[in-house]
Amino acid sequence: MDIDMIFKIAAIGIIVAILNQLLVRSGREEQALLTTIAGLIVALMMIITQISDLFKTIKNTFGL
Amino acid sequence: MNIISICALAIVSCVLSLAIKRHNSELSVLVSIGAAVVVLMCVIQYILDSMDFITSLLAKADVSSENVVILFKVVGICFLTEFTCDTVKESGLHALSGNIALAGKIVVLITALPMFTEILTLVTNLVAGE
Repeated sequence: MDIDMIFKIAAIGIIVAILNQLLVRSGREEQALLTTIAGLIVALMMIITQISDLFKTIKNTFGL
Repeated sequence: MNIISICALAIVSCVLSLAIKRHNSELSVLVSIGAAVVVLMCVIQYILDSMDFITSLLAKADVSSENVVILFKVVGICFLTEFTCDTVKESGLHALSGNIALAGKIVVLITALPMFTEILTLVTNLVAGE
């Protein structure tokens, strides 16, 4: 089961938030923005495969 | 997976989502979508099991297999639309969610059109028979 994935995404969220705060405090707003976007993309790539799996399963189950 | 695990999973992901919402709202939405996907993947196996039973029941009731296929397709479309609609609504895009619901209704109507045609033919035959 993919419950670990939820914890992973939450962990990415917390780490990205901390990094963001640190970089903003040290005056590197651009790198902070890039870190946020990188975290978002990593989490999105993780979730997209799961959504794709769900949609494929629904497609096969109901014969869409 | 039993309902207690599903509810526990939902509560844990709800707390996690709220915890990171203030600092990182995009990832909080992703956590909630992930939880929704995991919960649905858990219960979809049961739907698959019950579908065989429903199919056999409908076969005994002498419903034609074309109509059963249409019925299941409509259920699938409703399932998918409901999931997407709720997910989009949760992230605050109410207009898009309404549009998805509308699109789902239209697709359901198009899918069920052969059944309407069948009823119409039946009614026409009855009227012509008088």
